[in-house]
Amino acid sequence: MGRYASDPEWASIQPIPLNDGSETGTVPLATIAYSDEYLEATSYLRAVMAANELSERALQLTEHVISMNPAHYTVWIYRAKIIFALNKDRNGELEWLNGVSLKYLKNYQIWHHRQVIMSSRDHFPTLPPKEMDFLMEMFAQDSKNYHVWTYRHWLVRHFELWDSPREIADINSLLNSDVRNNSAWSHRYMLRFGPRNDQPDGGMVNADGPPTEKGRLAVVDEDLVDEELQFAQVKIASAPENRSPWSYARGVLRAAGRPLSEWTEFARKFVVDKRDDQGQLEDVEVKSSHAIEWLADVYAQDSTSDQSSARDEAVRMLNLLKDKYDPIRRNYWDYRIQQITSGELPAAA
Amino acid sequence: MPAIVATLGKKRRKVRFLSLSQTIQGRKLDSGRTRTHMPTMSSLAVRSAAEHEPLEDEKGSSHPAVSALFTRPPALKDALITETSELQDETLNKCLPFLEGSHSNQKDTLNRYGVPPLKRDEHIGYLYDSLEYYPPGFVGLDASRPWMAYWALAGLTLLGEDITKYRSRTISTFIPMQNATGGFGGGHGQISHCASSYAAVLSLAMVGGDEALSLIDRRAMWRWLGRLKQPDGGITVCEGGEEDVRGAYCAMVIISLLDLPLDLPPDAKARECGLKTFTSGLSVYLSRCQTFEGGISGSPGTEAHGAYAFCALACLCILGQPEVTVPNCMDVPLLLSWLSARQYAPEGGFAGRTNKLVDGCYSHWVGNCWPLIQSALGGTRAASPKLSAVGNLYSREGVTRYILGCCQSENGGLRDKPGKHPDSYHTCYTLTGLSSVQHYHYHTDASATSNEECSSAFSWKYIRVRKSDNHGSDINVFDENDRLAAFHPLYVIPHEAAESIRLWCESRPLDA
Repeated sequence: MGRYASDPEWASIQPIPLNDGSETGTVPLATIAYSDEYLEATSYLRAVMAANELSERALQLTEHVISMNPAHYTVWIYRAKIIFALNKDRNGELEWLNGVSLKYLKNYQIWHHRQVIMSSRDHFPTLPPKEMDFLMEMFAQDSKNYHVWTYRHWLVRHFELWDSPREIADINSLLNSDVRNNSAWSHRYMLRFGPRNDQPDGGMVNADGPPTEKGRLAVVDEDLVDEELQFAQVKIASAPENRSPWSYARGVLRAAGRPLSEWTEFARKFVVDKRDDQGQLEDVEVKSSHAIEWLADVYAQDSTSDQSSARDEAVRMLNLLKDKYDPIRRNYWDYRIQQITSGELPAAA
Repeated sequence: MPAIVATLGKKRRKVRFLSLSQTIQGRKLDSGRTRTHMPTMSSLAVRSAAEHEPLEDEKGSSHPAVSALFTRPPALKDALITETSELQDETLNKCLPFLEGSHSNQKDTLNRYGVPPLKRDEHIGYLYDSLEYYPPGFVGLDASRPWMAYWALAGLTLLGEDITKYRSRTISTFIPMQNATGGFGGGHGQISHCASSYAAVLSLAMVGGDEALSLIDRRAMWRWLGRLKQPDGGITVCEGGEEDVRGAYCAMVIISLLDLPLDLPPDAKARECGLKTFTSGLSVYLSRCQTFEGGISGSPGTEAHGAYAFCALACLCILGQPEVTVPNCMDVPLLLSWLSARQYAPEGGFAGRTNKLVDGCYSHWVGNCWPLIQSALGGTRAASPKLSAVGNLYSREGVTRYILGCCQSENGGLRDKPGKHPDSYHTCYTLTGLSSVQHYHYHTDASATSNEECSSAFSWKYIRVRKSDNHGSDINVFDENDRLAAFHPLYVIPHEAAESIRLWCESRPLDA
């Protein structure tokens, strides 16, 4: 007899045995030879859920099922329901979740559950002091974990943490240990230039406007913009072939409504023309393909004002990418060249 | 289980997934065992040094038909070493022997382009096995059985197998998963979920037939989906679950295939916030998922990601014509630039995010964004194929080399990358990606449905990309023997399966 069948506390429950389709006489697809322990626990789970029982014993049962299969999304939803109905200690739940999360790093359900628990304003009027420490512990295991970053984004918005010193300090620390952590760069952009509570959530401000106007701030803090551009330049200098800070800088300029040409001189440091005594181009010394792309975009924008020299420069840059520095994207670069030479709208950035 | 052997008409193989149970327990797949096959750090340093000249000892090891693009490290490499660059170097070194055609497993079998053939029989065997019995260690799949069915049925269909023999088994699988309150859960007694309902509807559409299609309670499905619609226009994956673009995509796939009313059910909570239909606010929700990088995130404000980009773009293409709905919501040049940067060399495959690694499954998630965005750029065309307005903007050759060279497991099944174990998820989506590069998908003005709602979604046609279409980097490097079936770029099942379930449902309208 199983753990539940032999327990007087569960005597009132008539378990609902698994129907995996076998009873039709046709063998169902992808069946699993469940352990007896799992079969019994889930048969009691079906029974208490069918009765919508929100009780202490049902809560224990959810923990038991989760310990055997944390990917069972239903049991998480049910657990949250019980915790709210019984008004269970939320801090205790978080403590327990910490252990489960570190054990099952790639699990989806845990992080949504954490968000549901944390979303109770009555229990968590402000951010619990240890919360960010725990997330940093998670990032130490997997610094690009999409679910953890999604949860952290939610925390920022829920507790209005955009300007919290801890946020930017954690991002700086993560970028110091790996400047190529694009998740951290994305979070930084959201902190600095993302929509605040006066706008719906989004990857860029003004997302409901015309697509080319996405990201454009209504009020620009030029000092912040300069600071962030400076930050990106320092990070680029340490690894010029890292795409993340280049994209970040494009996003910053876009937010400020400032042109890419502000960085022409900077980008030129990574794409140096070597000329002979007569001024004839001999070679190009390249340290970053992203700088080439940047310059191509700058010249492409100029070329719309009918400057054929800018157009030629844009095409020369795109050919560098196509032939040598990013040739896997040849068809895309060709498409860009064709747009420029045919006078169509160049790709914005 | 001798009964199964008989229905399949082939000898039952031993299920060979045991080693996979490591992932089920949430641990990393890279065990010490796989690492022993990897190059050492010192060989890595030689390969990845920022030198442009080929090393003497490497010249001879590559197949002569494989260009340097796929055998040499990128022209530029920063000296700074971080966790990201270490993982990238590791991956590159694991892929190179397979790309060069010099790996001991592939020597005598390469085609004239230096690409190994599709191990069709092995993959078919692998997928047949994946539909059978799993040992107790696979309990982590308990909520994913609808997916296991879909991935295998889809993969087998791509490989040319007739899966209608699975009709009754598919029916008996999904009956206990359907809830009386609408939708399908991951198993008996599990609450309905958009992902399981998506996998169930697609699987039933593929096996087809009155019995399979009529088991779906469409009216209950409509009511249940109505409870998932949110005030901001988005859709959650289940009641009490997260809201993301998977929810939006899966729900719109189900609604359009089953010809469900676009009007929200009378009791839908979202009606209290002024929303009237499933599409109310949906494209605005999706537009808020575009990030400063240009890509699309899972929910507003997070990092751009290839799988979510597909969900969002496919959802927009169900809502209307790609050249209308996509530019209305997305900054297309910005999106294009991000999407294009997902393809890496020398690996040839796609990565899902900036500074992450290539993975075979993105051959579908990123790969199938391409026909959608190319149609958004090129516009709708007459039903008879002419020369394309916008050709392929990515390297089909690269994707083909990555899939056939790096993703095929020796004993069947396809994988994320060399060193990983195969599974049905990666088998399905790498094959879908391979099919995608073998066909040219375009959007037309001729729909399979005369019904105006969602008609655009049923207007996709395809032609095989042939040798004579080859130019530049767009050559076919696979053999004709390795052709797969074509899949609908939005529904990820055959066009005929999508069209017939839609027409079947149209002929049985739900009463008002």
